[in-house]
Amino acid sequence: MLLNAVILILQETLEAAFLISVLAVVCFMQRMKFTWLLCGLLAGTLFASVYAINLQTVSEWFDYVGQEVVNASLQGAMAILMALFFAVLPRPQATLADAAAPSRIRKSSLAMWIAAAIVMLAITREGSEIFLYLGGLVQQEEHVQAVLMGGGLGFGIGLSIGFLLFYGLLGLPPLWSWRAAGCLLALFAGIMLSQAVMQLTQADWLPATQPIWDSSAWLSEHTVLGQLLYALLGFEATPSRWFVLAYLLGFAVVIAVIAWRRPLQVIGENQAGGPESCGPLLSRL
Amino acid sequence: MKRRLLLSLVLCALMVDAWAATPEIEIEIKDHLFYPDVVIVPAETKVKLRIRNLDPTPEEFESYELNREKVIAGHSETVVFIGPLVAGEYPFFGEFFPKTAQGKVVVE
Repeated sequence: MLLNAVILILQETLEAAFLISVLAVVCFMQRMKFTWLLCGLLAGTLFASVYAINLQTVSEWFDYVGQEVVNASLQGAMAILMALFFAVLPRPQATLADAAAPSRIRKSSLAMWIAAAIVMLAITREGSEIFLYLGGLVQQEEHVQAVLMGGGLGFGIGLSIGFLLFYGLLGLPPLWSWRAAGCLLALFAGIMLSQAVMQLTQADWLPATQPIWDSSAWLSEHTVLGQLLYALLGFEATPSRWFVLAYLLGFAVVIAVIAWRRPLQVIGENQAGGPESCGPLLSRL
Repeated sequence: MKRRLLLSLVLCALMVDAWAATPEIEIEIKDHLFYPDVVIVPAETKVKLRIRNLDPTPEEFESYELNREKVIAGHSETVVFIGPLVAGEYPFFGEFFPKTAQGKVVVE
């Protein structure tokens, strides 16, 4: 039970930690305040508990496929918000006067709140499962200790990996930090859109199709590596045609928005963002 | 107008027919075990699995092979659609109690 609790909570925490870390890298390099993170986390925790408490009612919606519809909506919204986030992200300032321009501050603030909304939705989705699992099992006296200890351990490992990713990405040369973060967030949009498609297929709202390939013989989702790749890249050993198309669409749209806004290269050249500038991080929290 | 109404009625009838034609199979979760733990379904057919969780604890029905995952609260029921599938075996498990909650869908 202990090991199972570690794995289960770690899986859920990892998915959220990856997203928050990478999003934090982009916001950090844009010199945004970290208020968004706190707001997203708090609102997400609140909504996750509400979702977990009402899961049974939600499940009964639309002839017992309400859970899939709500999850697909959350995931679809996250993919759309990710594209919007990059669309409103202000271009780097050419001069100090530009940096203080009201329009730039407004855009920066909008991007910050979109980031908060993405975090809120991610925490709602992943957190509700954690709440349900912990809430259900702590009522069983024989499991309480193992579940809480395992859950705490899994949460701690997930959080540590998130911090490692954050500082690891910021440790790269600024241009590469931006490129890596942009690509990872575009991948995240692809993952969310493909998972939304999978949920709607499960609900029978989209037609089911045969897998277009089967890679389970050389990399199965039952393995640790398979699970890690699932959390980081949304890996599926037997994806359907719609799954792959949605994945590529989400990825391509966000990459196109990033390319259209072109903030990466200019910021990489003009702004510091390496590990030496991580010092003021705490003061921004 | 009459023609349109007739067409709507025919479409509705077809939809109801299509919905009714989906075979339904019931699975129960009791003491963290699936009953039955082997579910036999016909090949190339969409099937509706109605899963009843009789335990007070929640469970997550999960299958990597079927690409399905769904949380079921304690003392509640839910529906998961699977297929159409090609012949073979598709294991599933309860993610919250994976040691005991194991089963498979056999497609023939």
